[in-house]
Amino acid sequence: MKYDVVIVGSGASGGAVAYTLCKAGYKVAVLEKGRLIKRDEFSKDELAYARRDIVTPNLFEEYHTIEEKIEGKWVATPTHESGWSFWNGNIVGGSSNLMSGMLHRMHPDDFRLKSKYGEIKGANIVDWPISYEELEPYYALAEELVGITGKYEKHLYEPPRSTADFPQPPTKENAVVKLIDKSCKALDIVPLVTPRAVLSRDKGHRNACYYSNFCGSYGCSSGAKGSSRESMIKPALATGNLTLMSNTCVKTLHVGKKDEVEYAVVVDTVTGKEKKISAKLFVVAAQAHESARLLLNSANRYHPHGLANSSGELGKNLIFSAGGSGQGELHKESLKHIKFEDLMTTGLFVNRSILDWYFIDHWWDGKFKGGSVEFMFEHQNIISRANKNNEEDGKLVWGKALGERLTKRFTESKSIRFEIFNDWLPNDDCFVALDETHKDKYGMPVGKLRLEAHPQDVKVGKYIAQKCERVLEEMGAKNIYSSISSAPPQNLVAGGCRFGDDPKTSVLNKYCQAHDVPNLFVADASFMPTGGSVPYTWTIYANALRVAEHIVQKLQKKPLS
Amino acid sequence: MKRRKFLILGSVLGLSSSLMGKNNSIVFSKSLKSAEKTIQSVQQHLFPEGSQIPSARSMNVTQFLLETITHASYDKDIRVFVIEGAEELESREEGKFTSLSNEEKERALRAYEETHYGSNWLSRIMTLTMEGMFSDPIYGSNVKEAGWKALHAYGGVPRPTTRYIKL
Repeated sequence: MKYDVVIVGSGASGGAVAYTLCKAGYKVAVLEKGRLIKRDEFSKDELAYARRDIVTPNLFEEYHTIEEKIEGKWVATPTHESGWSFWNGNIVGGSSNLMSGMLHRMHPDDFRLKSKYGEIKGANIVDWPISYEELEPYYALAEELVGITGKYEKHLYEPPRSTADFPQPPTKENAVVKLIDKSCKALDIVPLVTPRAVLSRDKGHRNACYYSNFCGSYGCSSGAKGSSRESMIKPALATGNLTLMSNTCVKTLHVGKKDEVEYAVVVDTVTGKEKKISAKLFVVAAQAHESARLLLNSANRYHPHGLANSSGELGKNLIFSAGGSGQGELHKESLKHIKFEDLMTTGLFVNRSILDWYFIDHWWDGKFKGGSVEFMFEHQNIISRANKNNEEDGKLVWGKALGERLTKRFTESKSIRFEIFNDWLPNDDCFVALDETHKDKYGMPVGKLRLEAHPQDVKVGKYIAQKCERVLEEMGAKNIYSSISSAPPQNLVAGGCRFGDDPKTSVLNKYCQAHDVPNLFVADASFMPTGGSVPYTWTIYANALRVAEHIVQKLQKKPLS
Repeated sequence: MKRRKFLILGSVLGLSSSLMGKNNSIVFSKSLKSAEKTIQSVQQHLFPEGSQIPSARSMNVTQFLLETITHASYDKDIRVFVIEGAEELESREEGKFTSLSNEEKERALRAYEETHYGSNWLSRIMTLTMEGMFSDPIYGSNVKEAGWKALHAYGGVPRPTTRYIKL
């Protein structure tokens, strides 16, 4: 059987493309390396989901190598040595199953960073080949399909929107938001309601949030979270046009003729059997670093340096989200403005963000691109919270002292946290290539990641962290600290297949179609030349919906621009 | 940081050479058996009776630890480290750790903690013990949710019906 379209990966972008194509009547196969975990099979098992590699590959079987500069030389260490996994949710629906769902649109100026803010030495900043206006209708569509809930408030750095407000009101909030709002206002900061990919009301086959207290890192058992599995794959399956193939790992894409992918070579991860899957058109959506790896591994005599790599740009300019996080403790005896029992109520959200520092233009600090801030409680995982509180002055606390310490920590305080998202400047020392010696259990070369950050990233992060610490102080929090580093968050990855108008400097065109191979598209975050200063997920959904609409037009043989 | 090097750094016995060999299953189960008593004794010292959180004795934590480190999802290097750290402790205490008095155990463990290796190992034993006490009771520890009750913190629903998401 030859499908109309084969999609590699079932996460946010793969799901959105499958949804659009299946609705338009095309026969689609989605190839997903991981297994299917259904809504009613998800549990809040901390040991399995949060502490073991259960929904990601065992690192001794599948891994990456990470390059670090040691004494002037780049040295690659396999991730099974370091324990630093670069896998994110290898199950049907991908890591969107496990997100916290705090989402924002990118700002119009994020699409023209170079024009607006100029070059930064050592950073490969370019403008996008599309504008915010071109993507806006798809942000709106994603908002509807994914079920992003919130409350629109006008703000200098809040991107304009074509619809008046969110389709559903925000999820229920913990009383701590009153304290955040009051403290922000005292400091002349504007707190905004965070748009969240979690339903506050039932929507079609999905039920409203039931406030489980364990949202991020876990699958959702009501369908409220706007995972690709719930919001895209399920309705796509309902059309009868989707063949969902889980436990199916794609090894290479085969190009028989110079400019056409003919089939995917896949391996059944359970039986180890290989087969070929053919289609008219192929969409790669395996998450940025793995999408580039697949194309590099698909090199052949026509494409000796990797598929769609005539520019030499494939795998280059990998980006993450820069920034970091900070935290403080709200103590029972010193809590202001709200009741302690209300603070301790579990499950409710802290839907607050700050966009005031998205762009900085200050008489003393200067003019530069800043970032966004999210507030949340410390993750409610019990084992990890207990395990974090077993040290004092560098020594382990044990015995009865440990019992006292833990019960006090758990019953007389709660930690409030902020996370900062700012641009990870693309640079020459942040990319994915193929490792020359290491291979995974399927015999394919693993991705080798070099992950250097531009010094500006940490500078910006620290600038914002200082301001956030002031908010926590105003809230009356104790033991405040923040940690801004140049270590990349492995779950917020993009770039590696830049889109652009010039085939000499980009891998994809403005529709995320490979310049070199017309029946090949890359739909995930790989296309992003710069990442904005917000989590990527909303942009990934929106762009994939845009790309999918273009593919539909192409398949209908309408003239392409 | 290279995990293997990190784990074996500072081991008096110089166990690094046997590290790979220990993954041989016969050798491994023999070492496991001999380390079990030491690990149990350490767990009982770290989590004694009469504390505000449940004791090691009441929570089947040793059984949990052994089942956990031998499960396929557990890092095979750390599995070996858990066993070897117990052997190292016994070798420091001339094979008598389990029969020491409480005060002597405290001294022995605090002295062990002074070494980089011992501090890592103790921290690992504590983590593995807490994983039992505060994970879902389906894993055999956290008996009657006593760990959760002590902290007024409960796992979310739905609760797991099988260990390690075996669907």
